[in-house]
Amino acid sequence: MSAGAWRANREPAILLGPGVLFLLLAFFFPAFQLLAQSFLTFGTEPVQFTFEHYAKAFVDEFYAGVALRTFRIAFTITAICLIVGFPLAVIIARAGPILRASLIVIIILPLMTSVVIRTFGWLVILGPGGVISWTLEQLGLIDNSISLMHTEAGIIIAMAQVLLPFLVLTTLGSLSQIPPSLEEASRVMGAGFFQSMFHITLPLSVPGLASGSLLVFALSISSFITPSLVGGVRLQVMAGSIYQQMTGSFDWGFGSALSVILLIVTLLLIVPYMILVSRAGGRQ
Amino acid sequence: MIAATPRWVMALATTFLVAVAAFMLVPLFVVVASSLSSSAFLVFPPPGLSFRWYGEILGSEAYLRAGWTSLKLAMVTVVLALALGTPAAIALSRFRFAGRATIASIFLSPLILPSLIFAIGLLIIFSRYATGPSFTGLVIGHTVITMPYVIRTVSANLADIDPNLDEAARVMGARWWQRYWLVILPQCKTGMAAGAFFAFNISFDDAVIALFMRAPSVETLPMRIYSTLEFSPDPSVAAVSSVMILMTMVLVVMLSRVFGLSKVV
Repeated sequence: MSAGAWRANREPAILLGPGVLFLLLAFFFPAFQLLAQSFLTFGTEPVQFTFEHYAKAFVDEFYAGVALRTFRIAFTITAICLIVGFPLAVIIARAGPILRASLIVIIILPLMTSVVIRTFGWLVILGPGGVISWTLEQLGLIDNSISLMHTEAGIIIAMAQVLLPFLVLTTLGSLSQIPPSLEEASRVMGAGFFQSMFHITLPLSVPGLASGSLLVFALSISSFITPSLVGGVRLQVMAGSIYQQMTGSFDWGFGSALSVILLIVTLLLIVPYMILVSRAGGRQ
Repeated sequence: MIAATPRWVMALATTFLVAVAAFMLVPLFVVVASSLSSSAFLVFPPPGLSFRWYGEILGSEAYLRAGWTSLKLAMVTVVLALALGTPAAIALSRFRFAGRATIASIFLSPLILPSLIFAIGLLIIFSRYATGPSFTGLVIGHTVITMPYVIRTVSANLADIDPNLDEAARVMGARWWQRYWLVILPQCKTGMAAGAFFAFNISFDDAVIALFMRAPSVETLPMRIYSTLEFSPDPSVAAVSSVMILMTMVLVVMLSRVFGLSKVV
């Protein structure tokens, strides 16, 4: 770099330096260590290079079951979020200022509440003697108290509430870029409400819906707090078993290998997400 | 245009909105309701009303200590995230230089990596190169995950402001510290305030990094709530959670006052 180039770039370099240095040390270095740990023997001297952790992850049937459950749950949650989130986003986008603001608060308030607390709420609702069980009993639909705790249905309901805001907010971004005149034109030209919805609004919100669902899917495969508390130890998901390996059985090599696998799946989803988002941004 | 929406669709939409609002808010509502229960067990409906669980948490040394730890952690995190994030946001929005896009994505990458993965890396680092998980470790972890929010809010803020003001100050002979102190930083005020609210909220609520970086001597409120839920939930957890929900509501109101909710989303 010549002296002139240095002078021109000095100011941004000084501004960015501390942050970049901090991220290299506190973010990229730990991520790299995790990757390294997954290929190293753990707790032996000397430390050796090994593939045994990955081999274990792919051979052990228990983990195949855990992975299958994780993806099944994540798919179901994504589908629920799409079905509920799209109409909700459409309503928010068209509502008057007051309704719009209150709906956004309804979405943001839970989003900004600790996930531990939201899960706690679901434990009270889903558990035996909980809100659902009590309501059904009062309606005379069931005789004995029921519980959705320790069921996949319970995990899915609780996690869908935690993740729905992400889908709604990304879809809202897409919807706000559709000029209202487009829909008005289609209605004036004789299209019915649903015709204009399916031929105009839905196709134009696909970028938002797609990036929102990728985000929801990626977040749901990496969450462990809600599935661990609602599902318990018997219904383990990938993130939960990673937590177990790292803090319970202290098998860090295996825990790291599972995390790297999870990370690869997440990146496979996140990269298309980023591309969609940057394309949507470029259209503005 | 709304008038052209069929009436039965409007009715359906109303029902749908009520159901969604219930789905989103009932979990928070039942937590608050349980905290007012007079029973020692979490049963629905609560047999009677009482504030005894709030008295209980105020007299509980463990909760007070965890609350103090969470507060300290969130405040240190806010200061660090602002100190590192604001200059970066200024550089990224006010200067054009080679590799700008790459550096911008480096700064936003903690948003993309699941915090679970980052938390494990942090745990490995602190166990290998330090004396294990600690308060410092939590501060570092939280600064990493909150800094992108500061960068986003300050950048959004600066995008609305005329960059020529700084140029004018420079032309008029302002020294670098005069430009930053009198022109640029005052311009970033709103973005910094919004970023601080986000950072505080995220740090105060985080359980993922906290659970991995669990040190025997350091316990935050979400960690305490998590372990109580795992073993023996009682209405005192509900009381603590209700206090945290109230704090979140206050933060959301402040955020919308300062920044406007439409800009946040």
